[in-house]
Amino acid sequence: MALHDRSNGASPNYALRVSEVSKTFRIHQERASSLKAFIAAGGRNRYEEFWALRDVSFDVEPGQALGIIGHNGSGKSTLLKCMAGILTPKSGNIEVTKRMAALLELGAGFHQELSGRDNVFLNAAILGMGRKEIAKRFDEIVDFADLGQFIDNPVKTYSSGMYVRLAFAVAINVDPELLLIDEILAVGDVTFQAKCMEKFVDFRQQGRTLVLVTHDATTVRNFCDRAIWLDHGSVRMEGNPAEVVDQYTETMLGAETSAGAEVGRRGDGKLTIDTVELIVSGVPVDRFHTGDDLTVRLHFTAHEPIDKPVFAINIASLGGATITAPSSRQADKTPARVSGSGSVDILMENVPLIAQRYVLHTEVTGFGRQHVYDHLQNARTFDVVTGTSRETSGVVTLHPKWTITGDGVETA
Amino acid sequence: MSIRTALAQRNLLYLLSQKELRTRYRKSILGWAWSLLNPLSQMIIFSIIFLKVFDGNAPRGAASGLDNFPLYFLSGLLPFQFFSISVTAAIGNVQGGASLIKKVAFPHEHLVFSIVIAQLVTIGIELVVLSISFLFFGYFMFQWLLPMALLLVLISLFTTGVALALSAANVFFHDINYLWGIVAQLMFYSSPIIFVPSQVPSEAVRFISNWGPTGSFVRASQRILYDGQWPSIERWAYIAAFSMATFAIGAWIFNKLSPRFAEEF
Repeated sequence: MALHDRSNGASPNYALRVSEVSKTFRIHQERASSLKAFIAAGGRNRYEEFWALRDVSFDVEPGQALGIIGHNGSGKSTLLKCMAGILTPKSGNIEVTKRMAALLELGAGFHQELSGRDNVFLNAAILGMGRKEIAKRFDEIVDFADLGQFIDNPVKTYSSGMYVRLAFAVAINVDPELLLIDEILAVGDVTFQAKCMEKFVDFRQQGRTLVLVTHDATTVRNFCDRAIWLDHGSVRMEGNPAEVVDQYTETMLGAETSAGAEVGRRGDGKLTIDTVELIVSGVPVDRFHTGDDLTVRLHFTAHEPIDKPVFAINIASLGGATITAPSSRQADKTPARVSGSGSVDILMENVPLIAQRYVLHTEVTGFGRQHVYDHLQNARTFDVVTGTSRETSGVVTLHPKWTITGDGVETA
Repeated sequence: MSIRTALAQRNLLYLLSQKELRTRYRKSILGWAWSLLNPLSQMIIFSIIFLKVFDGNAPRGAASGLDNFPLYFLSGLLPFQFFSISVTAAIGNVQGGASLIKKVAFPHEHLVFSIVIAQLVTIGIELVVLSISFLFFGYFMFQWLLPMALLLVLISLFTTGVALALSAANVFFHDINYLWGIVAQLMFYSSPIIFVPSQVPSEAVRFISNWGPTGSFVRASQRILYDGQWPSIERWAYIAAFSMATFAIGAWIFNKLSPRFAEEF
């Protein structure tokens, strides 16, 4: 992280301008890492060029919070490093009109043997602050990090939580007008995270500019007012965060659906589940939105007549916890006898699952639930994307309705 | 240019230098005493070799009247060690700064400058101790610390130039680090630290020891500290010229290579 004051008298209508930036890396085939090999190769390294960024252009307006999303290797970190001035682009320009700080790693430059106090001064200086400025903010930093008398102990004696708190406290107190952040919002314990979030909200309210690089679509959706989707080094989509994030998740999930968990099967096979379909609005789907009406359709074949077969499904989170496990027996819908093939439709209206990936297991048993005809572990996986609910924690939404009353409460 | 960023971010430079000094002798019982014990132990070893093994004669200090090999040895060793230790440490500091360079935009040359500054503080302390020990031999030399300071400014330029070039090149080829170990040895023995140039029979060796890159400032240092005389104007001019040239070349190489550090580590 570093602080650059490249502001000038005129105030242009952008805080940061990226124009036609390209960056290549060399992928060495026979990397001459010794002088001998280098000279033997005639002073030349053989390498291939890899385009990490290709002709990327965009402006960030003052006061805006821009989220940059993309899969691993999409070039988003390279872009951030170019903006931060750590990497030099191969071509193109990056103009910064505000006092900028880049937060790529908390505590970069902390020296283990020095005290917390010394490290605050050193780290803040590395981030570009002057001595007086640091002295002025020192108390605030120590206060925010909540270290008490530990501030005079060497940082190598700190717990990882203390370490991160101090690092973040320094970083946020550098007081930039433009802050670049790389995936660091999820640090420390819950209390500290809340404190950081508060700082960021303050930061936004003070009209400062934020550029956030992350692969966490939810953060972008909740926190940014503009999003850029970077794909293989180029801007794939740009605009409203909700739209960009939806497109991004759709595409990313589409690429992954086939790679589900392995299907496990047991049972005597007298009655088998042949296919499992998820149907929304009459169409088979791999994913749907929170609040959709979902039909799970099981196609079965009874290889001999079976009395009172109980059909059951089990929807579980990826962690394995069962969310719901309805069966035909509990619903009092168990047929008296089946033979040949047929299908079972299980309609669940207004599905309250929040945006995540889930697995579905199916099972057909005898009426006593002891004898297993066919059990399909991980029959299929599916994804729920954000729909009627914007909740992000837990597994379901209970469709909360909020009412806040009081004498001093003003409506937004 | 590196000088300008150095001034703009002098607070960082100050703190990095301070860090060097504070962490140098961590976890050692004798701590800072080591910065004196190291040259003193070498002084004892080389004095025994010079005086007892080879039966050498210490030169007579022209104006000081000194006749003392250990002091002669120290007046050459200290500036040489300032140079060689600085370069070694600078190579290590840039190499060791990888995690920082990859994560933070800051003037990389500060990693080199801070080492040289920390070593300047060290040699400053060493020189004061040396001056006090000269007192025991009845020689008062504190007034000679001023020209010595002037000489150190020039040596610093030379040292920084070499350190900038080698530390930058070492990022790309680690051979530089090992190569430097050999070159430093060569420079040590080609400088008149453990011998007296006037006693050398070979004209070529005498010339190199007098005017070689390190020999020339070692001679100047001995002239000031041991002889108690100002070096000749020719020597000053010569040292100033090649120090500035070395600094300029080193800075050029460093500026050329440092933008690629972050992706090379």
